[in-house]
Amino acid sequence: MSTPQVLFAYFAVAMTILSLLVVTRRNPVHSVLWMLVLFIHIAALYLFLNAEFIAAIQIIIYAGAILVLFLFVIMLLNLRKEETEKRFQKQWLYSIAISVLFVFFLVLIVGNITVIPPPGPYTADVIKSEGHIMTVGKVLYSEFLLPFEIASLILLVAIIGAVVLAKKRIE
Amino acid sequence: MLKYILIPLLPLLSFIINILFGRNFIKDKAHWIAVPAVAGSFILAVSAFMDVQAGNVINVNIYNWIVSGNFNVTIGFLIDQLTAIMLIVVTSISTLIFIYSIGYMHGDGGYYRFFSYLSLFVFSMLMLVMANNFLLLYFGWEAVGLCSYFLIGFWFHKKSAADAGKKAFIVNRFGDFGFGLGVILVYLTFGSLDYLKIFSNTGIVLGQTINIFGNDIDLITLICLMLFCGAIGKSAQIPLHVWLPDAMEGPTPVSALIHAATMVTAGVFMVARCNPLFSLSHTAMNTVAVVGGVTAIFAATIALVQNDIKRVIAYSTVSQLGYMFLALGVGAYSAGIFHLYTHAYFKALLFLGSGSVIHALHNEQNMQNMGGLKKYMPITYGVFILATLSITGIPPFAGFFSKDEILWRAYSGGELGKFLWLLATVAALLTAFYSWRLIFLTFHGRFRGTHEQEHHLHESPRVITVPLMLLAIGAVAAGWVGIPPLLMEHGDKIGEFLAPVLGHPHGEGSHAEEMMVMGMSILVAAAGWFIAYQMYVKKTDLPMKVGAMFQPLYKLLYNKYYVDELYSRIFVQPVLKLSDKVILGFFDAKIIEGVVNGVPNLIGAFSNKFRKIQTGLLSNYGLVMAIGALAIIGYIIFMR
Amino acid sequence: MNTANYLVDITMIMPELTLICVALILLLLDLVVKNKEVLAAVGIAGTLVALYGTYKLFVFHAPQSVFADMFVLDGYSNFFKLIFYLNIILTILISLKYMTIEKASFGEYYSLLIFATTGMMIMASAADLIVLYLGLELMALSTYILAGLMRKQLRSNEAALKYFFLGAFSSAILLYGISMTYGLTGTTNLREIAAALQTLNIMESPAVFLGLIFLIVAFGFKVALAPFHMWAPDVYEGAPTSITAFMSVGPKAAGFAVMGRVLFEAFGGMQMQWNSILIPLAVITMAVGSIIALAQTNIKRMLAYSSIAHAGYMLLGIIAGTPEGLASTANYLMIYMFMNIGAFAIVIMLRREGFQGENLDDYMGLAKSHPLASALMLIFMFSLTGIPPTAGFIGKFYVFMEVIRSGYTYLAIIAVIFSVISAFFYLRVVMYMYMKDPKEDVTLTTSSTLSIALAITAIMVLILGIFPSFLLNLVRSSIPG
Repeated sequence: MSTPQVLFAYFAVAMTILSLLVVTRRNPVHSVLWMLVLFIHIAALYLFLNAEFIAAIQIIIYAGAILVLFLFVIMLLNLRKEETEKRFQKQWLYSIAISVLFVFFLVLIVGNITVIPPPGPYTADVIKSEGHIMTVGKVLYSEFLLPFEIASLILLVAIIGAVVLAKKRIE
Repeated sequence: MLKYILIPLLPLLSFIINILFGRNFIKDKAHWIAVPAVAGSFILAVSAFMDVQAGNVINVNIYNWIVSGNFNVTIGFLIDQLTAIMLIVVTSISTLIFIYSIGYMHGDGGYYRFFSYLSLFVFSMLMLVMANNFLLLYFGWEAVGLCSYFLIGFWFHKKSAADAGKKAFIVNRFGDFGFGLGVILVYLTFGSLDYLKIFSNTGIVLGQTINIFGNDIDLITLICLMLFCGAIGKSAQIPLHVWLPDAMEGPTPVSALIHAATMVTAGVFMVARCNPLFSLSHTAMNTVAVVGGVTAIFAATIALVQNDIKRVIAYSTVSQLGYMFLALGVGAYSAGIFHLYTHAYFKALLFLGSGSVIHALHNEQNMQNMGGLKKYMPITYGVFILATLSITGIPPFAGFFSKDEILWRAYSGGELGKFLWLLATVAALLTAFYSWRLIFLTFHGRFRGTHEQEHHLHESPRVITVPLMLLAIGAVAAGWVGIPPLLMEHGDKIGEFLAPVLGHPHGEGSHAEEMMVMGMSILVAAAGWFIAYQMYVKKTDLPMKVGAMFQPLYKLLYNKYYVDELYSRIFVQPVLKLSDKVILGFFDAKIIEGVVNGVPNLIGAFSNKFRKIQTGLLSNYGLVMAIGALAIIGYIIFMR
Repeated sequence: MNTANYLVDITMIMPELTLICVALILLLLDLVVKNKEVLAAVGIAGTLVALYGTYKLFVFHAPQSVFADMFVLDGYSNFFKLIFYLNIILTILISLKYMTIEKASFGEYYSLLIFATTGMMIMASAADLIVLYLGLELMALSTYILAGLMRKQLRSNEAALKYFFLGAFSSAILLYGISMTYGLTGTTNLREIAAALQTLNIMESPAVFLGLIFLIVAFGFKVALAPFHMWAPDVYEGAPTSITAFMSVGPKAAGFAVMGRVLFEAFGGMQMQWNSILIPLAVITMAVGSIIALAQTNIKRMLAYSSIAHAGYMLLGIIAGTPEGLASTANYLMIYMFMNIGAFAIVIMLRREGFQGENLDDYMGLAKSHPLASALMLIFMFSLTGIPPTAGFIGKFYVFMEVIRSGYTYLAIIAVIFSVISAFFYLRVVMYMYMKDPKEDVTLTTSSTLSIALAITAIMVLILGIFPSFLLNLVRSSIPG
């Protein structure tokens, strides 16, 4: 195994374990902290793909902004009761069985993929010569302008929803 | 053109006006709209009949319903000889029943509703017989079923009536389902739903087979059997006969309408209409004949011991319908339609007559509590006698000619025919017996009801007796259009009239044999009268003794062979259980919840906290989704 | 890609832009206008303007795709957009009075309805999996919020939460499917996917199939195919009734729109494969919907299961695998919109202060006290059953004929069996109304807008049943062979 492969294997396995830790912790603060570690691992995975910009964004936005928000919310709520209650309503046995079976199927199917799709226009060399931010920016504001704008609408709706559901006064 | 459209349109208008304005404006004047409407239909039907008789068969497309690309359905009317006769039967009987209802339903809270449903019923039946394609036929078919559901359950506060309505509806769904499939098969096979296109093109199905679960089945046989399924349901043949006797829970005019003119005759009409298809399949024809013959005798035996006056007549309808199918099955389509036509008159008369009796006795239906009514109700008694003479087949009453025609066609129809003839003759004996038993129990002897009832005994008002007398004319004379050639040269006018549509029946037999069949039929009719007379007039203690002697048999017949109980045990209860417990529970997450929560800790008690939304069924739902997705993946991995 | 091009492109999304503007204006108006009816009127007016825009685009422009082939305008998308427009207009009409009774008459309500509709329209026009996903999220997020609008009612909260979590689950599955497809073909554009499948010769690859399965599962969730239907009964029951009406048509139509487009355009060559999944799904869906509906006593729940069963019938058109089949599904959706919203409008009429009016028992003897409302309900129930001459019959007939034409006769037979079964629970409502004595007096909540909605739906159900050719020609010309 070459060094990148070893590193990739480490990150893949670590991410799986970290995800499990996130969902199994009883204390939500612990969950969030494990998630922080998970996000850093994900960012590392982006580096493998020569996407340094996305890796940086991953750390800044997710680890920096969103997680802090999570922590705020958790601190504001009183979650004592949830901490003492049982989780997963005893269907974990089924869930595990299904997950295992699913992985088995995936290995069966994806394991013998032989096709290599044609590379897109933004190869590592192109990005290197143009610069990351420039490439992303160009693509985002030309080719992917429409999806970009729709995404902004989704965020707007999310804000409206939060206001309606949480703030609106009803008699 | 307009004339023909008006035939069904008038009852429809009557329905619309009554249902819209009946409640607030028309109220107890509903008959002022309904009766003229249906009488108008009758007059137009007579005129249409004359047109057909003059040789004008009408086949018009009125409206292109769906026209789009390769997908065309046109709607139109076909008025040929068969339709013309059906039109006369339906409209004439309906008119009389409508008039009768004025008196019978007088003062009922839902008077306007009754007349509007009744009008809709007639409209549906007219659409059914006038259609020139299977789609419109199907529409009429379903509409008739729906109206019958409303009318049988008209007195819905009476539980038995509501149940009977439901039963009629559900039992008919079984038949209709087959019928619907039959229509789809017809469309697939012929690429059209138009009668004439299909019937002129029957050649293409010969030899075609369809593979069902590995067995090759003759296509045309399958089509015919599917269509016949519908007829079994609508015309109450074994094994779907159970709804018809219960249908008499509806108001008596409705029973008369269902039993005589509309609804039950639809099945007979449909098979006769599709005779070019049925004639192609021996298997289907034999099925029709055997189902008819067996039903004829089966229902007649049940009628022997029933005590409810309407129930006896109801079973006699099932039995007589069996005769009609027997005739259709041996290829004597015109004989079947002939019997339908005469039967309509005497059966309507019997029902309306029994209605008159029930009316006089304030809703007493048990014949054991009647008796001696002939001196109180002479007109009713008189018409009853005429109807009974007709149904038992005494010449020269209507029933004799049509029944004799069927018996003779069966006899001359080969090996199977002889067997069917035997069945039919025995059934005729039974018919004579129970019909006279009804007369003797109701009208002869001493009155066995309460004093109060006796005090109020009276003949019904004229609005009831006049329709009875008019129907009696039909019950006597309707058969004179079909006198066998043996007795009168060119006597079989109706057979010749129908021949262009229904063809001539084949069969062989000498004059002597024909005389023998005729003689037998008269003989059994007389024998039936004699036995009934002996048992119910001369030696009135005899029925008890006979009943006691054959106790198990008597019980079997009295309980109608326990068919209802059987169905309840086999179909109704399991289905209810299934949908109630298993399926609902399973898919509505109750069982999933149970399994999921129960299995990991087998004995663990269920706790209320699962009801909370955060930890409730939500993850179970997700689990089901995941299992579903996984099942699909597994399916494509292992099944392909 | 130059800027001048985008000006042209923007005209092509004018209707969507109009709707977004209207939604934003409504949010602002809500602050100054106290009368919510004004907001509703503005919403309807804005929708009509957008409808006009779509009509203009339809008349003046040949089918084309804009925004780097991510957004297409063709007859197919236009027909579905027509469904969405009518859906939102009818929903606004039936919700005015109702939301006041439920004490949830917010300005945001109309705004969110419009956002959801915009999402559906983007889905119908999406020619790229990314746009498709974003449109779907826009629609879904808005409907989650709408479902939970009655904040004081536990079951509304429950509905919103369940819908949200399961919807997120299905979105994850959708994204997984998209990423698998992207990984194998190197593109998210539907047409390029089809081309890549050809050139790389990977149609038989199980991995491609796996991606396809994930897509179907996610779409199946949106249109409520069994076994991905579990959310539907709870959410339909818990959500405000007007939203239930909206949800039972809009997301379903949008789901079928994208399902049809993705399957036909991107995976057109794999019809055998996707049919091997869709056929069992359709059968299970029809069975689950029709059989479980038999046991329901709550009419909203019953209509939820009925909606599941109808999804099964609609799926048959896609299974047929021909443009005609697709047209039959679109046609069915249009008809379903009228009859279903009509039925829900009657359900809404029974709701009044302090009375839910959702039990079947509440319909007992309705014909006695309210003959007109019962007659309308009868029409809708007949139509849902598929009894001629109502529109529902045309919808079913067309779909069945198409599926038969494609050689799946047995599916049509199964579908007929289940529609016979479904007659029991639809006609049970009729039976309750006409053949039972009322238990208690039911007063109907009426309003002029509700009456308009009822009139439109009932008349359309009858007209499309008696003169179906217009709609059939429209859908056929929209989705040419």
